[in-house]
Amino acid sequence: MKITRSLVAAVTVGTLTLASCGGTKSESENTGVTDDTIKLGVLTDLSGPFLELSEAILAGNEIWVEQVNASGGVCGRDVELVVRDHGYDADAGVVAYQELESQVLGFMHVLGSPINAALDQNYLDNETTTVALSWSSFILKNPYIIVPGTTFDVEMINGLSYLMEQGQIKPGDTIGHIYLEGEYGENGLLGAEYFAAQHDLTIEKVKVLPTDSDLRNAVTGLKGSNVAAIAMTTTPAQTLNVAVVNQQLGLDVPIVGNNPAFGPNILTPETADALRNVYVVASATPYTSDVPKAQEVADLFEARGDGVPHAGVPYGYAIGEIWGQLLEGTCDDLTREGVKKAKDEADSLDTEDLVAELDFSSPGSPATRAVYVAVPNIDTPGGLDQQGELFVSEDAETYRAPEQQD
Amino acid sequence: MSTFMQLTINGAGSGAVFALLALGFVIIYRASGAVNFAHGSLVLVAGYITVRAQESMGITVAAILGVLGAGVLAVIIERVLVARTRGGDPIALVLLTIGVDVVIVEEVARRLGSSAPFVRVPWANEVIHVGQITVLKGQIVALCFGLVIIAVLFALFRFTGWGLAMRAQAEHREAAALMGVRNTQVTAAAWLIAGVLAGIAVLFLATPDFAGGGVSRATHSLVLVAFPAAIIGGLDSTNGAVIGGFIVGLTGAYSQQYVSFEFARVAVYLVMLAVLVVRPSGLFGTKEVQRV
Repeated sequence: MKITRSLVAAVTVGTLTLASCGGTKSESENTGVTDDTIKLGVLTDLSGPFLELSEAILAGNEIWVEQVNASGGVCGRDVELVVRDHGYDADAGVVAYQELESQVLGFMHVLGSPINAALDQNYLDNETTTVALSWSSFILKNPYIIVPGTTFDVEMINGLSYLMEQGQIKPGDTIGHIYLEGEYGENGLLGAEYFAAQHDLTIEKVKVLPTDSDLRNAVTGLKGSNVAAIAMTTTPAQTLNVAVVNQQLGLDVPIVGNNPAFGPNILTPETADALRNVYVVASATPYTSDVPKAQEVADLFEARGDGVPHAGVPYGYAIGEIWGQLLEGTCDDLTREGVKKAKDEADSLDTEDLVAELDFSSPGSPATRAVYVAVPNIDTPGGLDQQGELFVSEDAETYRAPEQQD
Repeated sequence: MSTFMQLTINGAGSGAVFALLALGFVIIYRASGAVNFAHGSLVLVAGYITVRAQESMGITVAAILGVLGAGVLAVIIERVLVARTRGGDPIALVLLTIGVDVVIVEEVARRLGSSAPFVRVPWANEVIHVGQITVLKGQIVALCFGLVIIAVLFALFRFTGWGLAMRAQAEHREAAALMGVRNTQVTAAAWLIAGVLAGIAVLFLATPDFAGGGVSRATHSLVLVAFPAAIIGGLDSTNGAVIGGFIVGLTGAYSQQYVSFEFARVAVYLVMLAVLVVRPSGLFGTKEVQRV
């Protein structure tokens, strides 16, 4: 009798254990989703070199979450962000990803080229759709990665096209391109070289590391080569250094920079004049854009009373919008597979011009070719004045990105 | 030709600042017998005090506070930490300065956050054009500061009791002590001077002229570039520190333009190795003689 009771107890425990295992299996298919909540992860840099940009994008994400939850959520559920700091360290990013992967449906965003490069295989293995803030067209081969806007190569093509349209460069000129070693710099250079081939330009290349803070000798060399403009695929501090030396040496040529090449913190009373020659090319609107949605987001940001105005704020909001529309497109199948399918079918996502209309349905192709061009202005919150409407050049439209399949 | 001339001016301008930094390494080495890897943190602290004070007090008072602050911090490090290791392993002393450096740099970086404010010295972003060549006022001022400081140090070493004691201590610490030299005062004064030099150097480093960045981690990284200058010149030679500073500045300028930035990162160290092969004590360092 005693044995029978023990046996019954053991069988009961075993059955419950198996049942709970079955439950876990069932939940894993809907990871990060309950009847009330959809959890999305954020891996960002809250303690490293891109702190300012990261905080701004995260604030934009949070504003979107607050707004969407207040109006009933997505698919009848509240959206919840689970945020971890990687400090721009790939190892820390991998550890944080492993912690969050089992808790979230996908990643609202993962910031940083080295972190996204380290997680590339994880996205495939775990089928985690991720907004990767790396903006390199090289990473578009991974079908689970969303780059919310255009890529560095297309930014550069548009930037140089803009200068040519303005009459600041012409066929036959020499252009200096200072670019960082690695994916970011190489992708920007790809765009500059494409544009140069189309317009009989010569590119004078200078490869640097983020730690090369003094670029005076590079600019001296470019002056010796009689460059008509300087392209920058660098850090904001390097852009500032080049802009200052450009002015000091009397070179005074226009400088065109990819979106990470500028940050409002380089704009000070001492440097504002030197930065007047810089054109920043980005997918997202500047903080103080004429776009009505950008103004609405800026108002919401200022109502929070916390944080520095930055173009990352409307961009972070746009990323939220992208996620919202993808989730709404798959309410009846809130699984990772469902999200991936919704992403693959999304050919005209609209963020009310915070970013140009986005098409994620063409594998390997940038989601848009349009950019905003802006120039630094110390009196403008966020530090950038928008120059006209969304801009897309013919060269950018005909350019074939390295992973483009169609 | 004008590119070469401009590179020479650029290199010499950077070299003048590197010389100020290398002098700090040399003075502490002469007094303590070890390399002070916390020199970068002294620079950073001086810069931090200056940029925090310049809004309310003006740049002159702020710069004086920064220079004095770095000097006082250097003396505190020496009295509280370094002095306790006297007679110990020089490697332990080096590791101690690395530890101090990490703690101070992280604290200053935490306080600065993502900002990188400039020191608003009057010579920043002021240029003089001579034909095709551009000379920065900051480079000229750094050069003048370097020459004046060399002259002052030379006079101190030659014509004061402290200088004599310093030279005696650098020659042979125990013998100097037996002759009545008070090691503690000599060493503390040397750290004070090194701290002051660090405070002066940041007035050139954290301007738009030097590397485009204000007071930040990058300022600290620049200080380490000056370390080979001290080695090339000879770790116990003040004149050598100045020559080493210019060698580092010019090597960087020429190799960045005529080879590549990748090569420039190792070029200075190749020069350092070449010098050490020919003269193991550096260009002007005292040759070590051992009786057998």
